[in-house]
Amino acid sequence: MEIPYTVTARKDTGLFNSKVGIWLFLASEVMLFGGLFSGYVFLRIYADYPWPERALPIVPGLINTFVLIGSSVTVVFAWAALKMREWRKFQIYMGITIACAGMFMVLKGIEYKAKLEHQAVRMDDFAIIEGHAHYAAIGDDGKLIHADTKAKAKKMGGSGEKPFKANAILFKPDTVDFSVARAHEPWVEAVLEQAAKRKAQLLTAENLFLYGSIEDYAGTEDAPLSSKERASKEAALVTKYANAEDKVERKFGESSLFIPARTALSYDLIKKARAAYVGGRSHNAAARTAILKDNWEKVKAERPDDKYWEQAPDTKIDAATQLDEQFDSEGNCTAGSKVMSVISTLSFKMDPPQPIVISRGWVKRPVKAKEGKAELRDDTSFNAGEGEGSAQGLMDSSLILAVDAIDLRWMVQKAEEAGKEPLEVIEKSWIFSEGNKNHKYYKRIWKSHKARIAALEEKLLEDYGRDKEGNPKRVPTETDRYRVAWQDLVHYARADQQEGRPLRPGDPGYDELRPKFWNGFAGPNHKDEEIHDLHAFPELEIPHEKVALQSMFTPKWNTYYAVYFTITGLHGLHVIGGAIVLGYYLFFSKGLYRRNPEWLANRVEVGGLFWHFVDLVWIFLFPILYLM
Amino acid sequence: MSAEAAATDHGHDHEDHHHDLPFYKKYIWSTDHKVIGIQYAITALLFLAFGFFLMMVMRWSIAYPEEPLPGYLSWIFSDEWKARWLQDGRVTGETYNMFGAMHGTIMVFLGIVPLGFAAFGNYVTPLQIGTVDMAFPKLNMVSYWLYLVGGLTMCASFFMESGAAKSGWTNYAPLANFADGQIVNQFLAGQTQWLLGMVFLISSSLLGAVNFLTTLINLRAKGMTWMRMPFFCWAMLVTGFLLLLAFPPLEVAAIMQLMDRTVGSSFFTPSGLYTSTAGVIEASGGGSPLLYQHLFWFLGHPEVYVLLLPAIACVAEIIPVNTRKPLWGYKPMVWSIVILGFLSFIVWAHHMYLTGMGPVISTWFQTTTVLISVPSVILLTSLIVSLWGGSIRFNLPMLWAAAFLPMFGIGGLTGLPLAFNLVDLHLHDTYYVIGHFHYVVAPGILFGLFGGLYHWFPKVTGRHMNSFLGHLHFWPSLVFMNVLFFPMLIQGMAGFHRRWYNGGDAYLSKAADSANVFGNTVAEWIHLNPVMSFGAFALALAQIPFCINFFVSMFAGKKIKNDNPYDATTLEWATPTPPPHGNFTFDVAAYRGPYEYSRDDHEGDFFPQWEEPKRNKPAQEPKTSPVS
Amino acid sequence: MADTPEAIQKAKKQYLLIGLILFVFTVVTVAVATVPWLDFGDHGFDSRDAIIGLLIATFKASLVASIFMHLNHERKTIYVVLLIAAVMGIVLFFLTGWAFVDPIEYGNTVEGDRFYNPEKPITSD
Repeated sequence: MEIPYTVTARKDTGLFNSKVGIWLFLASEVMLFGGLFSGYVFLRIYADYPWPERALPIVPGLINTFVLIGSSVTVVFAWAALKMREWRKFQIYMGITIACAGMFMVLKGIEYKAKLEHQAVRMDDFAIIEGHAHYAAIGDDGKLIHADTKAKAKKMGGSGEKPFKANAILFKPDTVDFSVARAHEPWVEAVLEQAAKRKAQLLTAENLFLYGSIEDYAGTEDAPLSSKERASKEAALVTKYANAEDKVERKFGESSLFIPARTALSYDLIKKARAAYVGGRSHNAAARTAILKDNWEKVKAERPDDKYWEQAPDTKIDAATQLDEQFDSEGNCTAGSKVMSVISTLSFKMDPPQPIVISRGWVKRPVKAKEGKAELRDDTSFNAGEGEGSAQGLMDSSLILAVDAIDLRWMVQKAEEAGKEPLEVIEKSWIFSEGNKNHKYYKRIWKSHKARIAALEEKLLEDYGRDKEGNPKRVPTETDRYRVAWQDLVHYARADQQEGRPLRPGDPGYDELRPKFWNGFAGPNHKDEEIHDLHAFPELEIPHEKVALQSMFTPKWNTYYAVYFTITGLHGLHVIGGAIVLGYYLFFSKGLYRRNPEWLANRVEVGGLFWHFVDLVWIFLFPILYLM
Repeated sequence: MSAEAAATDHGHDHEDHHHDLPFYKKYIWSTDHKVIGIQYAITALLFLAFGFFLMMVMRWSIAYPEEPLPGYLSWIFSDEWKARWLQDGRVTGETYNMFGAMHGTIMVFLGIVPLGFAAFGNYVTPLQIGTVDMAFPKLNMVSYWLYLVGGLTMCASFFMESGAAKSGWTNYAPLANFADGQIVNQFLAGQTQWLLGMVFLISSSLLGAVNFLTTLINLRAKGMTWMRMPFFCWAMLVTGFLLLLAFPPLEVAAIMQLMDRTVGSSFFTPSGLYTSTAGVIEASGGGSPLLYQHLFWFLGHPEVYVLLLPAIACVAEIIPVNTRKPLWGYKPMVWSIVILGFLSFIVWAHHMYLTGMGPVISTWFQTTTVLISVPSVILLTSLIVSLWGGSIRFNLPMLWAAAFLPMFGIGGLTGLPLAFNLVDLHLHDTYYVIGHFHYVVAPGILFGLFGGLYHWFPKVTGRHMNSFLGHLHFWPSLVFMNVLFFPMLIQGMAGFHRRWYNGGDAYLSKAADSANVFGNTVAEWIHLNPVMSFGAFALALAQIPFCINFFVSMFAGKKIKNDNPYDATTLEWATPTPPPHGNFTFDVAAYRGPYEYSRDDHEGDFFPQWEEPKRNKPAQEPKTSPVS
Repeated sequence: MADTPEAIQKAKKQYLLIGLILFVFTVVTVAVATVPWLDFGDHGFDSRDAIIGLLIATFKASLVASIFMHLNHERKTIYVVLLIAAVMGIVLFFLTGWAFVDPIEYGNTVEGDRFYNPEKPITSD
């Protein structure tokens, strides 16, 4: 059997199969990227925050555009070479194409890496700070120490301490509660590791009896176990293991577990407790269901002629109330109990309390000092008591970074919405006030910025004049006015630190001090020696409670980066997919070329069509994401 | 094209080869369109059964909200599962949501689309256009496996900590962005797996659509012009285009939501969103939940026609064969589905009348929605008129086809009020909507597809299905479908909300006579709940004869008299039974239109497409071989 | 389609030329975005810059599509497929956009919408 028209074209359509196929596929791709572009447009137009326009460094994108255009030319040459039956030339052109694909992805990777390392913070007054987070470590005194590099932080921290990015939460708990069912192993291990490093132990506070089967709990039907008997059994277990330091499995009965007081935390322990918990819970559910079913049958028998008996208001039956009879006055289960108590949380006391570093991604909701509690997403809870002598809970968890941009546009937007004067709001904001240790430095930057913008405003008026109504034709944009970008910071630092006297806007040579658009390549370079010496990127310590949202330049930061990563990521997958297909033609198709070169030419044409489409998408992506 | 292009590297006979293939290659990793069609059919039927089961659990909860699940519904769940998801054996609201979301998803995306488009389309289309296989057999195989992986991914989450997706089959953001948010590894959350599964399913559908369209465009047999194509193939062509162009926007939505869930972006998260569990959500905000709805329903509405067209196509094949008359209005029907296909892309926001769209755009969507009923009515009318004056053979397929017409009619007509936004304000999200689309999908589309199953069963297996069991399947199904769905229309007008997990019971106890819509009250109609549930359980019983019939007839059914047991005219009946790899044993060509029944100028009441016309030379017998 | 050796040789020159034009217009699109005296419209980025950028991109994309992808002489079937896709893409964008720009606004200044504004109840005048 042979499928017709794989090599030769069908007469009436004039097409071979794979060409029809690829164009249909490209039609669906048009819809895919059409949907993505639509999403971009509507998210941008209806954004309720200042859109970060022209936020990406242009150079990597520009080079990538050249690379893709070049590869489009070479892939069509490769096809032409095959048509001319020039295998060698085909290899060369196709090789260049695939090399271009590789280069594109490498550049993309560099760009992504720069973004993923770039910290951004939205403060509670809507000031946005961008920069590189410092590293921090716990010192010997249990306090936070920070430094601008990992190595320095390690040196300054206590012995055996691991430096971490200075955007984590530091919490000193009295007790830590782990959910038996949901505790997440890596997080438990992380807590254990930190406690060990800081010479603290996590121990259970009291004797715990975890019942995994009803037989252990209430005995069998023939030999029921009353609460008192159970209590004496438990007491016997306590004495048995009173001073035992041995590693015996403290199991009793069928699947029940005894955890004596002062047992150290381990994930293994939680896992064992989980087994007992699941067993008990399953049993309880079955028992309660059975009780409920019995009750329903009873009610039904009582109302033999009522068609709608189950909807009569007085036939509501709740298993919980029925079960009350199974408990005695002290809440203990009586003999012959059908359900048992299960333990769903294991509580450990930290002795002595030591700080635990919690990554911000772990917490369920923002940690607040007054709550004395940090809850993780796996239902682990760090608790600090209220009484005297209890641990302090949330410690100094300032977010410390070297600032390379200050964006006040959102603050201005909010001020305007509230009918306030933007400049006043800005100058009263935390970053320029006494609360900020470094506020003098920031005030100077803001002064330089205002001066430069004023000069720009003047120059625009001079160059373009006024319109009929007397308004200047061109004015600085909101971005010019309220965003201090890294180029500005370097510019102002250079101008201020000129030998001789500091340069001011309008002075000769002032404008030349500004970094060009190709400087920095994929963003501000914190490792640049000049910038370091100028101290152009000042330090900022943002108190924990001032941080409204913090993130790297990832999709989480705002919808712009979400769009950027999603579209370029999908486009990148297309590049990789295309390169794999073209690579297959290059490396594994010599046999086909010998047998049926026309077929290979067709395949390369089809693969090339896909490749051109990938190029075509990028032709739109480049201006939309980099220049707008 | 060069002459050597048609080189014969595949010159050796594949046909002999195929029979030597090992079992797994022939039936599992098969590239034969017929085997893949059967794989699709069986998988889809299994998924349909699973979806049906979920519905029965839901119907139990609606009818008897206070009673524990009976043994015949709960035996499938493990003790641990019951402990987690049932409250004393009763269905909880969350479990109901989960089952509801998955019932919809499974029925639409894993059941009916694969059964109608992929299974029937795969098996029948290449046969009807007289070609050897699909244009891209390997791609066809990949489609099936992607579908299976996607389906299993979605369903696997039933057994995980999070449970399966629980935000409705539409997966609306921002609800779906945060459901299962407590799960630490988001890739193990049901809500995320729904999206992953959806990406697989969409990829599968896109590849399938490309394959179908290429096959239909490029592989039609000699003489098989567009207007000689059976209506079934036209329906597949339009369906293919719908899938090709409507699915990518949903893929965009799925990818965006995947980003929202896994890396915390805010495509669909508005600013300042508050939830009871996490307080103000720690996300950047700025996203648009409405964007999700637009992207979803841009697929969602064409999807309705993706469900419908294969069913109507099956009916359009069954009716001419069994009335021994040409299909009445073949050309208008073809144009109708083409127009239907186009219109289905511009009506989607009638699902969104309650999202705050303004009057102008609402009127646009109202107008186009009403317009789309015109081609639908042309289709239905043509099918009904086709019956006129025919000597109808009421065999099994014809029974289903005949029942399809009024049932689909009810489904369609009950949709008309929903098209008007004023009425939709009242009926939105009520059982009326549920009743409407279930009338379209269950007694409408499913009946059509059952008809197709009975119709082509002899071609696939060489045996007829048992008539008695078939009747035992059909008549109860017809009755209980209506018992199940007709009361929904009444309840909907009384204001029953579609997401009441306890069937309105809680609502009733709070305010016995509220929800007065169209003069009806909840209290008045709540007693229909047990009736409808009875219909559902009886419907389940009615499927048992089908299961028996399906498997028993496969091996012990009555053998067919020859390759063309119905004396049909379309090309699939010109093949040996079952068709071998490569399908046709002679050089197939189409000499006339597809429905040449009872022609005056031809002896016998049918004139097959493949029969060469009598010209000067004597007629050639159609080369059909007796059953082996 | 370029099938004969001569035609392919000729086409190769065309491909090179198009590649060159694409390079040049990439530089142009960067220039209008970065060089101050090439800044159209107001100072800084605005809608006119967006339109110019998109026009250049569309021009470049149409060159790629028509020459590299041979759409300048393709079969009817393919034009039909692409036309349908293009129409649906436009439908998706514009109808969604239309729904976005025509919302029911609560409390805006349009006369009829006063009805919805709880702060400005309709008076009897």
